[in-house]
Amino acid sequence: MKRIFSIFFIFFVFITGGYWSAYSNVRPIIYFYNTETNINNFATLKMAFDIYLVNHGGYYFQPFDLRENFEAAIQKKGDIYLLSSWHLKALQQKKVPLEIALIGTSKGNTTQRKVLSAKKDIIDVAMLKNTVVAGAGSEEYIQSVLKQILGKEHEALLKDIKILIVPKDIDAVMAVGFGMATAAISAESGLDKLAMMNPNQFRELHSLGFSEKDYLLIAATLKKPDQQEAQLLEVLRKMSETEEGEANLKLLGIDGWRTLK
Amino acid sequence: MKMISFCKFLILLTLFLANAGFAQSNKILIVNSDNAVYRYEKIASEFKKVLQQNGYQWAEFNLDTHADAEAELKQLIQQENPVLIYCIGTKAYSLARNYAPNKKLVFSAAINWRRLNISEKTYGVANELSSAQEISLLRYFFPAVKTIGLFYSDKFSREYIEAIKKDALALGINIINRPINDAQEINDALNELLPKIDMFWIIPDPVVLSSKEAVQQIFQSAKQQKKPVYAYSDVFIEQGAVLAISADIATLGRQSANLALMMDKDKVSAGTVQSPAGSTVTLNKCAIDALQLNFNQDALDSVNKIVGCDKHD
Repeated sequence: MKRIFSIFFIFFVFITGGYWSAYSNVRPIIYFYNTETNINNFATLKMAFDIYLVNHGGYYFQPFDLRENFEAAIQKKGDIYLLSSWHLKALQQKKVPLEIALIGTSKGNTTQRKVLSAKKDIIDVAMLKNTVVAGAGSEEYIQSVLKQILGKEHEALLKDIKILIVPKDIDAVMAVGFGMATAAISAESGLDKLAMMNPNQFRELHSLGFSEKDYLLIAATLKKPDQQEAQLLEVLRKMSETEEGEANLKLLGIDGWRTLK
Repeated sequence: MKMISFCKFLILLTLFLANAGFAQSNKILIVNSDNAVYRYEKIASEFKKVLQQNGYQWAEFNLDTHADAEAELKQLIQQENPVLIYCIGTKAYSLARNYAPNKKLVFSAAINWRRLNISEKTYGVANELSSAQEISLLRYFFPAVKTIGLFYSDKFSREYIEAIKKDALALGINIINRPINDAQEINDALNELLPKIDMFWIIPDPVVLSSKEAVQQIFQSAKQQKKPVYAYSDVFIEQGAVLAISADIATLGRQSANLALMMDKDKVSAGTVQSPAGSTVTLNKCAIDALQLNFNQDALDSVNKIVGCDKHD
């Protein structure tokens, strides 16, 4: 009987010990969801960031393709959330206590504007009635940017414009050039990319309007960062200092991080 | 008296036209060649999402789930009288074209749509990106590439090659093309072509890709001569292609839906067939590193999948 108790005791210690050991090793996670792209690269992101983060403190990266799932994950103090500025504002309006910790940079800039571009025969936004406008990101996001660019004067046009969601900015701007859409919503950098890819198409386009400037990708924490979060933020901030880290950041469309002053 | 008769006639005519109008359904019929195929299922689900957002009704018919699909489809078309039929895959299009020759048809996921029996009521979204899209994206990833070589068969790809040459010229890229009539010619042709080019492009040509050996020969020679290979599909990534670009499946469904909605508003020219608006990019970092090839790092945010050397990346 004693022997059975001993075996049971050892088994119990082994199981619970393993559980508590695993629990105590739970490291902060970086959660990612971006309303401004629709590109299905989650497996690549997960692999690239996990390899980097595990070697720099044992952290993990979790990308999401569904906004609801990402938002449901915003619960635990200690984790970092990478999201768009537009999404952050929407969450803050819903009283989610997220605060900006780092801002993504690209070629020295921390902000970007969205641009509505079309071929030069579309001389003003009124001509977009009953047309297709291409854009990358969530439908709600594209609608919101378009509404901002159209302004009060042309807001009524929104119901007569069909939005075509494409994976990325370069698809949106090329869709105009190749006749699949009448206009495109993209970051200004999307037009720079088009100029590089297809200068002839770039020359055929012009801008019909711009959104207000907004931050690039944001790293946020629940309220003020504590020590654990500060350590992980430091790992993120230093990513651009290594070749591997910089390549990972480029997958997110940025090349570094800057602390908000 | 004549005036009264004329008024009666006008009233009857109005009623007749109004009835005829009400009889016209605004429902869209989706005919899917095989809903068990992930690609077709994804296209259909994205198509339906857009219809739902725009308050459209639809009926759905999956050819793979009906024993007597042809007869049942014919009956369904008569019963539903759809305003248009969306056909996913070649089989769905061919049947719909037979049973509803007067209906507007929208197709997608039809390989080489130019071979379809089309009419002025046929609209669609091609399955393949246009050569201009591919060359633009290729140039974005590898701006240093100036001369591209490719093989083609005159019988299957002559028109496509003409388009490629025209599009490449407009983007400042030189194409060296070599006709292949038999896969036996590939070895000699590679020895002649590879030294002259910066990159080899695999196009979907049935003669050039007629055997596994022919494909292996291309990759083997390209590797020996340290020339990168670009391919139209990511199935060639495992064999060593540095980059593959193809159409994004989900976008095909959404784009087809937008096309259908615009057709319903008579805002689309008859017979419009669009190129796919979304692309999927696979980059083989392992092959790029092995060739010590420079690529535009800023393009990484446009990549769907990066393949590393351990095959798990």
